[in-house]
Amino acid sequence: MNFDTSVITGHLPQFIEGIGLTAEITVVAFLLGYAAAILLAMAALLPGRAPGLLVSGYVTLFRSVPFIITLFIVYYGLPFAGLRLPAYAVGTVALGLNAAAYYTEVIRAALLAVPRGQMDAARAIGLSFPRAMHLVLAPQVFRTVVPPSTSVTLSMMKDSAVLSSITVPELTYQGLLVQGDTFAPVEVFVAVTLLYWGLALLIAGVARRLERRLSRTHARTQRFSPLAAKYLSLEWRDRPA
Amino acid sequence: MSFQWSAFTGVLPLLLRAAMLNLELAAVIMVLAVAGSTGLTVLRSLKVSPVNTAVDLVISFVRGTPLLIQIFVCFYGLPAIGLNLSPIAAGVLAIAANSTVFLGEAMRAGLGTINPGQIEAATALALRAPVIWLRVVLPQLFRQILPILTAELTIIVKGTALLSVITVVEVLRTAQQVGSATYRPFEVILAAGLVFLCINLVIGTAGRIAEARLAVGRG
Repeated sequence: MNFDTSVITGHLPQFIEGIGLTAEITVVAFLLGYAAAILLAMAALLPGRAPGLLVSGYVTLFRSVPFIITLFIVYYGLPFAGLRLPAYAVGTVALGLNAAAYYTEVIRAALLAVPRGQMDAARAIGLSFPRAMHLVLAPQVFRTVVPPSTSVTLSMMKDSAVLSSITVPELTYQGLLVQGDTFAPVEVFVAVTLLYWGLALLIAGVARRLERRLSRTHARTQRFSPLAAKYLSLEWRDRPA
Repeated sequence: MSFQWSAFTGVLPLLLRAAMLNLELAAVIMVLAVAGSTGLTVLRSLKVSPVNTAVDLVISFVRGTPLLIQIFVCFYGLPAIGLNLSPIAAGVLAIAANSTVFLGEAMRAGLGTINPGQIEAATALALRAPVIWLRVVLPQLFRQILPILTAELTIIVKGTALLSVITVVEVLRTAQQVGSATYRPFEVILAAGLVFLCINLVIGTAGRIAEARLAVGRG
């Protein structure tokens, strides 16, 4: 089998356009999804049982139904509500709402992880609720929220490939178009894959920098005895001598 | 346009029959992924440099690319190197590879929660490596990652819907066929969503029951 690089170089503008749109969709859906998740996580804290149940219902619903189906439901459903939006907008909104369910879980777990006493103590020394939220709770929540949010964002970026099925011209769609033109699946998927991979590494890199900035305190890593490390550690690079 | 209930209820029996395929595929994929990730974990524990470097590269690749693309690669890409797979085989391979990697990473994290003293004790008792894996490490590891296993099973079930794009006639593909034949795509796709919702609610509940039982066993 010959690898024909001209398939890639000849369609480079198309691939670039595709990855550009994928990145754009990811950023917009991230902002949208995170905003929605913050509102949902806060709503779940409201007094009474109903808000918590509604938020749980939202989360369960989106987590149980495949994104490709959610996407089609929104795509076919909006006209019922009298709304006609371009596929790009429909896809980005659906992607954001889907990710919001996962972000909500992340934020809720982080809020629950802060000991209750801290809020009480902050209030007791005279901080108002918003100030206590801002000065005491938020910094801690922000720190715990970053790593899991990164993995949700990465999944979301990858889920954006599904938008190709409603003709949004992102990277996967462009790849399928080029494949239809050239009948060279290997070359096309190598290019598409490398671009996704690169974007994923970029997102992970940004997140790692943010994480390092937030947690100045050194994380305690478990040290195994050499004997136990034989089974319980998969780290092979810097083995203790 | 108004919502047509008969279109919604009428398609449900057909979709439920199609769901059997999704469930079968999900079961096969889950078994492959659990076996694969267990094997992968033991392999990585041997710490053979070139092997682990290669494994890390594969993990990074699988984690960095969309499942949909992996499905396309298995379906369109593999024939180019002489490996012709049926749509179902290609789909099972892609999702299983994807889940193997994710469960493998969960197992890596799970290993850190096992008390090192146990390995020292097991070694002091002269237990051989396979016995330590099978009797000491793995039982605890599986219990530890049980919530992740249930979550992964729902992810796998959801993944089977993507096989519609490579012509596997599962729930979504069936819904699309009916939808375009009856011109009621919305009602039909909503019914498909309901089918997946029910399946995953059952899996989620079963997982929680299993967790509660094993938690009791832990004392």
